[in-house]
Amino acid sequence: MAMAFKMATTGMWVTEECKNSFMEMKWKKVHRYIVFKIDEKSRLVTVDKVGGPGEGYDDLAASLPDNDCRYAVFDFDFVTVDNCRKSKIFFIAWAPTASRIRAKMLYATSKDGLRRALDGVHYEVQATDPTEMGIEVIRDRAK
Amino acid sequence: MYGGGEYDATSPFKSLIRAFYASLNFSFDGVSLVCPVDEVSAIVIDLGSHTCKAGYAGEDAPKAVFPSVVGSIDQMEVDDPIKSERDPGSVPDPKNVVRPFDSDKIKAKRKLYVGSQALGYRRDNMEDGVVVDWDIVDSIWDHAFRERLLIDPKEHPMLLAEPSSNTPQQRERTAELMFEKYKVPALFLAKNAVLTSFASGRATSLVVDSGGGYTTVAPVHDGYVLQKAVATSPIGGEILTECLMKSLESKSITIKPRYSFKRKEIRPGEFQTVDLDFPNTTESYKLYAQRVIASDIKESVCRAPDTPFDESAYANIPMTPYELPDGQTIEIGADRFKIPDILFNPSLVQTIPGMESFAESAHSIRGLPQMVIESINKCDVDIRRELFSSILLAGGTASMQQLKERLEKDLLEESPQAARVKVLASGNATERRFRLDF
Repeated sequence: MAMAFKMATTGMWVTEECKNSFMEMKWKKVHRYIVFKIDEKSRLVTVDKVGGPGEGYDDLAASLPDNDCRYAVFDFDFVTVDNCRKSKIFFIAWAPTASRIRAKMLYATSKDGLRRALDGVHYEVQATDPTEMGIEVIRDRAK
Repeated sequence: MYGGGEYDATSPFKSLIRAFYASLNFSFDGVSLVCPVDEVSAIVIDLGSHTCKAGYAGEDAPKAVFPSVVGSIDQMEVDDPIKSERDPGSVPDPKNVVRPFDSDKIKAKRKLYVGSQALGYRRDNMEDGVVVDWDIVDSIWDHAFRERLLIDPKEHPMLLAEPSSNTPQQRERTAELMFEKYKVPALFLAKNAVLTSFASGRATSLVVDSGGGYTTVAPVHDGYVLQKAVATSPIGGEILTECLMKSLESKSITIKPRYSFKRKEIRPGEFQTVDLDFPNTTESYKLYAQRVIASDIKESVCRAPDTPFDESAYANIPMTPYELPDGQTIEIGADRFKIPDILFNPSLVQTIPGMESFAESAHSIRGLPQMVIESINKCDVDIRRELFSSILLAGGTASMQQLKERLEKDLLEESPQAARVKVLASGNATERRFRLDF
């Protein structure tokens, strides 16, 4: 297990790359978001896309496919009512209705393994269509 | 693995089952050296109180769907006239595993004679989704394996869907039968609700499963069913069918079972119906044949009303025609809306003539929205919000037209202000059954 963290229930492995880019996002703030995907052939969870610090939530929403599942983490910066700058990390499980059942099953069952590998996620959101992970949902949760 | 740890420790099969769970785990992990089963695809069986669904894991739809009805005959009586009368007009084609649903209904149980002293052709074997009569279950499994899927159970790992309310004794019995009789290499029992939840890509959700024999509301959190908050009610598709039949009877409409007549085309476009007489038909088989028709009426015309059903408001709605198999056309008016509304308001049963026996117990049964609210309120405060926003509908009865909209509307009225209510229908009734195999 030197190079990859193994998920508890399924045969999927989380690559070191996933953890490293997450840590970079958390500590160095070099990414705004990261999109993960499962590669079924090699049984690995890999990084699909990373968003630079200048990108926003809409860019993340646009990078999620309509007909396939993904995991994503998003670093949400906001200012609280008492003018305090804060940052919260969201984990989004994206499972659109149009994706295959097989994919939905795979992502739902493998989610826990990835979640455990990513230390320091504040909130978790499950979404099946864009309204469920709209920016207002995120804002609402961060309050 | 979920489910694995809950197994009753008193079971003599405990170590055996643990061992199999372990071997199944290995196959899931992809360590094929330990257990060779991951080369073959697993078989998934969901034995419901109304229909049995079976197929291969990883596929989108079940390979075989047939009613969980078993024709049983006293051994003394098995003679040819009875057999032929039980499935008139059907073309037996056992090799053709994938068949359209309708033709399945008549034929599927034909060969499943159970040699016990049965009273009629039809027997129920499930109560609230929990198996009552094991002989029958055994014959259903046997049928599924050998005649529908054409496989040898020794070669395939099994995934059985079980109701959330299954008892340890039931699971023990299931495991015993599967290992000792069918000698399956590996077995996993998964909760219906969990499978539904995963099939929609969610690890946390509230699953409203309304099937043939009962309705269950089960919260699932991170892949586990929260047992204490599970709510069930005996109202399912079969009761609705029953109500529809009784209601039609009270309007002096008789449904002729399909076997009791022959229809001939005497001139193009003109049909003549000739009644056939089978004096040996038992009452229960006749009833079953009538139910098949009534449930088709229900599926084709009924829809859930947008607001609670009110006799006077629906008195003037246009009638919907439905053509019975014997050619007579019946008109269905208010019943179209009244029958589905029983799901929301069980006390409506009392107004249907002939359902008095059920009406007495109807007082204690809650409607669907109340069941949902109650179930959510029994859960931890932290996850309630999430449950409200991911209510999953599953099962045949839940795929009724407009039911999703109605449930969403009713829940919006009764839920706390802050909650976002979102009801999701998980595709069609059969789609949800199938989980993938690793």
